[in-house]
Amino acid sequence: MKKFLQVGLGIVTSVGGFLEIGSITTAAQAGAGFGYQLVWSIALGTVCIAFLVEMSGRFAACSKRTIPDAMRERFGANFFAILLLVMLGVSLLVLGAEIGGAAAAVELATGIALPVWVIPVAVVSWLLLWRATFGVIENGVSMLGLVTIVFAVAAVKAHPSYAEIGAGMLPTLPHGDTAKYWFTAVSVLGASISPYLYYFYSSGAIEDKWDASYLGANRGIAALGMGFGGFLSLAVLVLAAVLFHPIGKDVQDYHDLTQLVTPLLGRTGFWLFVAALGIACLGATLEIALSLAYLVAQGFGWKWGEDLEPRDDARFSVTYTLLLVVGAILPLIGVDPLKLTEISMALTAASLPVGVLPFLILMNDKEYLGKKTNGRIGNAVVLCISVMALVLAVVSIPLEVLGS
Amino acid sequence: MSLHLVADVLDEQLRDRNGANAGRVDGIILLLRDGEPPVVTHVEVSPITLLARFNRRLGRWYARRDARLGPGRGVPYRIPWPNLRREGTTLRFDEDVESTPINAFEDWLRRTIVERLPWS
Repeated sequence: MKKFLQVGLGIVTSVGGFLEIGSITTAAQAGAGFGYQLVWSIALGTVCIAFLVEMSGRFAACSKRTIPDAMRERFGANFFAILLLVMLGVSLLVLGAEIGGAAAAVELATGIALPVWVIPVAVVSWLLLWRATFGVIENGVSMLGLVTIVFAVAAVKAHPSYAEIGAGMLPTLPHGDTAKYWFTAVSVLGASISPYLYYFYSSGAIEDKWDASYLGANRGIAALGMGFGGFLSLAVLVLAAVLFHPIGKDVQDYHDLTQLVTPLLGRTGFWLFVAALGIACLGATLEIALSLAYLVAQGFGWKWGEDLEPRDDARFSVTYTLLLVVGAILPLIGVDPLKLTEISMALTAASLPVGVLPFLILMNDKEYLGKKTNGRIGNAVVLCISVMALVLAVVSIPLEVLGS
Repeated sequence: MSLHLVADVLDEQLRDRNGANAGRVDGIILLLRDGEPPVVTHVEVSPITLLARFNRRLGRWYARRDARLGPGRGVPYRIPWPNLRREGTTLRFDEDVESTPINAFEDWLRRTIVERLPWS
């Protein structure tokens, strides 16, 4: 019964933690720009992150090690330094986008300009990390994130063409604006396959003291949690495809995002959207800051743990504090969260192989996993999607930058 | 039991006698002997050693900064090889990490930043 409850809670938190400004924005841009044609990118991204989350939980449960710990041990300090620099570079941009997204939600609610709210958002995030336990952050904030179900409710009310959604599952070539099509596809992939998500999940499994008896629960959480999360991203794409695409409306500003639900759910929809954006971005801010602090602390062998008092793991606590300060700089100086999201999601996709390929090597190492190493399907799926994301990113980012 | 120094020792997680994380093996000290195979004498645990692996000047720069933290600082901490034993996938050494300078930077951060922040 206890395990059953944990699976349920795990699924709920995965759903609540899936959607953030990256997935909301990129799915909305995909729907607005190309109707249902980019549904496949959400499907591919969701399948890939479900596999990666399952693998990271299995790795932690079987080896009792976290991913960064094993990466430094298996591949040495030079490789770890590259991984750290790439992850910090890309994830700090994403962190800035999430802090900006949460501040944008407060601006929508109050009418007071976004930059005013950046420091309060960063301080609230820091306070939660400083004082709350891992359980409060993992379950509490993600539970509140369930308000993102508003997108699914609105999508059903929009009466979309289910046949066209089905047809969009198959990748097709763009009818026009090729560079934007592939750039949007790459951004959707980057938003779905967020490395911080599976690093966070793996460290959480260690914090929650998982062992091999959790493998079944882990599979259920990864498949259902990520599956429902992907479904919510799809709902955002569907809303943009129904409401924005026919009238040629593009998503150029985060104010445009409110129009995804208000025409269908009215004033209540507006407030639910504001709550969904604010909570989802706040949750992602906490997860990214924690994930990066885990990465640093585990890679250098420090004491770490969200359940410890800050004075007991000072380096870990100061690390996430500094990350929040640095992450807040870009939205504070006025960089538009939407623009920051676009570029950071594409860069996330481009950087995927740096973290994913060595992780796959670990997942096939019997020293860590014994008999629970990866099967061929898991290896093939994650390898193909990650390499595809890299190739698409390398081609589409320069085209998009030149085009704009 | 044979150990591969790079695969099984370098960059491994270190734990102290109480099981607390105590950094990683950042370097290995070998004694070279005429006509005889080298022997491992110590392992080093220090950002000085780690940074010097990337760039020697970087290591020297950090050592100068570290020296300002107090007497005995500015040089890597060495653990005698006989004090180490392998337990599963980690290396354990027979000391309390709090009695070594390994956590000196953590202690400095605690005193100068963490304890001065609210709600700590």
